[in-house]
Amino acid sequence: MTRVSPGALRLLALVLVLLLVGAFFASQIENYLNARLFNRISSSVAIVALIACAQTLVILTRNIDLSLGAVVGFTAYGTGALVTAVPDLHPALLALAALGIGAGFGLVNGLLVAYAGVPSIIVTLATMAIFRSALVEFSDAQSITTDSLPDWLVAFPNLQLFAIGGVQFRAAFVAAVVIVIFVHLALTRLRPARALYAVGSNPEAAEMAGIDVRRTVLAAFVAAGALAGLAGLFFLARFGNITVVAGLGFELKSIAAAVLGGVNIFGGAGTVVGALIGAILVDLIENSLVRWDLVSEFWREAVLGLLILSAVTGDALLMRRLQRLRIRRDKAAAPVPKEATP
Amino acid sequence: MIRTLGLAALLAGGATMALAQAKTLTPGQEVDMVLLPKFLGILVFDQAHEGAQEAHAELQNPGELLFQGPTPENSVAGQIEIMTTAGTQGVGAVMLSNNAGDQIVPAAQAAQQAGTKVVTWDSPIPNGQGEDIFIAQVDFEETGRVMADMAHEIMGGEGQFAVLSASPDAANQNAWIASLEEVLGADEKYANLELVETVYGNDQSEESYNRALALVDSHPDLKLIMAPTTVGIQAAAKAMQDEGLCEQVKVSGLGLPAEMASYTLNGCAPQFALWDFRDLGYLTYQVAYGLATGQLTGEEGETFVAGRMGEYTIEADPGREGAKRVLMGPFTVYTAENVEGAAN
Repeated sequence: MTRVSPGALRLLALVLVLLLVGAFFASQIENYLNARLFNRISSSVAIVALIACAQTLVILTRNIDLSLGAVVGFTAYGTGALVTAVPDLHPALLALAALGIGAGFGLVNGLLVAYAGVPSIIVTLATMAIFRSALVEFSDAQSITTDSLPDWLVAFPNLQLFAIGGVQFRAAFVAAVVIVIFVHLALTRLRPARALYAVGSNPEAAEMAGIDVRRTVLAAFVAAGALAGLAGLFFLARFGNITVVAGLGFELKSIAAAVLGGVNIFGGAGTVVGALIGAILVDLIENSLVRWDLVSEFWREAVLGLLILSAVTGDALLMRRLQRLRIRRDKAAAPVPKEATP
Repeated sequence: MIRTLGLAALLAGGATMALAQAKTLTPGQEVDMVLLPKFLGILVFDQAHEGAQEAHAELQNPGELLFQGPTPENSVAGQIEIMTTAGTQGVGAVMLSNNAGDQIVPAAQAAQQAGTKVVTWDSPIPNGQGEDIFIAQVDFEETGRVMADMAHEIMGGEGQFAVLSASPDAANQNAWIASLEEVLGADEKYANLELVETVYGNDQSEESYNRALALVDSHPDLKLIMAPTTVGIQAAAKAMQDEGLCEQVKVSGLGLPAEMASYTLNGCAPQFALWDFRDLGYLTYQVAYGLATGQLTGEEGETFVAGRMGEYTIEADPGREGAKRVLMGPFTVYTAENVEGAAN
């Protein structure tokens, strides 16, 4: 019998939860399961997946980044202002600018956390407010409007790459999934990226093993910032109209997606693919709640919180039971091979 | 051509003019003022600030005009804090666009007891306590009728529509939606317009965009989304355009010409309305200055001259018992014919 790794088991459980949530809402809402639902969710997941991926990198190192929403907002506005001023800017340069702005913010966070030794929750709580205020100051109360953006940028999120029936695979979603897979491969195959897990599991041991813990934490924050910057560019392309509230609340969404996706909040364990599925789950719940008549506007946030809590708890309980089951099975199975091979 | 509405307001102004001599404000008196928007970084609030600055210069107030607001994520707590600080520092008047519901009342009352006048504009304090007077941009009853008329015209008199609002506890939004519902119920003309749902996008592009799409998914026969918020109307129009739904679902409400022009011209949002936020800031400053310097008493029936905008009268607020207001008005309705001129 083939062994399924705990990570794969977790992903399977997540997909199961995703299907259950979908089935539940399908029984509650008319005209629910159709291609449109996929198009809706995939379009908004494109942005959430990137910040969930960013948050995962930071959480893996036993830290947290509350400033991600502000970074998304600032980059959305900053790149919008840039492309308004230089309309002929090459797309690659614009993407680079987004990555650069985000990485710059990440660098501030990372330096303070890794080298000044301030707890990340304090640092990023402060920078969340500082980055947002910087945006208020920078924007001078002007908003970026869609008509000032180049056509290619506005068209990008809805550009249909291929379609299966009514199910459309749009550029932003496909790009986000490719980026997540790329990060996933890096985290599983590349030695410097694997250091994130080592640092998160046991910083002392990682230090002993010759890993530069500070530099690793710094790198995690910079990479997270860069990803959030890219999410900001996607945000600009999708919504066009950018005010200072852009990306407000994204930090919570990113944490919810990561944690739902099985990333251990105490660091050292979890995958970005899990975070991607977590992002889909968060978006599915949020989108469906809006259409569920039973829940009034005032309770929607609370129900979302409750569903997240129960999903996390249910997931944890399920995992524990499955692991216990396997240990029992392994114990029962253990003597057999010994007898079989003399 | 600009269609103007709110004739009732003009008539009311004319009637009281005959009764009392309008007071003219004496310039040059020193009083510190704080203009407190819902939060910083939104264009309309900055326009209101420009209007207030214009009045500040015109009235030659040697005191300071401070534009202080909370950051977006801290709106409610930040407003209460700024109100409290203004009271303890003894500024002459706080001009507030309230985003904190009745939660601002204790802080506003404390400021009043310290001698600070509390003048609300754009969005009042719902229960009217802790507030000296409200500068209403338009008659809240009128807002309902304007929205109903736009819906009636765009939808050809019949069908389903939905409202996309800002936050569930924004006093102005709720008053407008309530007045819309009242107009719909009271007038036979709107009998075939069905308001199927009200959703909230919290003045965020992303939420409003997703809410608009969810509305279309929930109601296959939806013909119109009415968004009485500048952020919501723009996000809804973009969502309909992105998904190629403009032929099927139109967008209307309250919007800024600069942000809406392209959607009005391509037919996604054939009509929308708004008032001038610069004028609103200007008028608010005039009243606050008058009250803080003791030149206006703030009594009902008091008539005064608000600089370039002419005469206004303080009256009872029909929407909130025991509260007083100055009504600015009127609405401007924008269509493909006039939106471009207003956008620049």
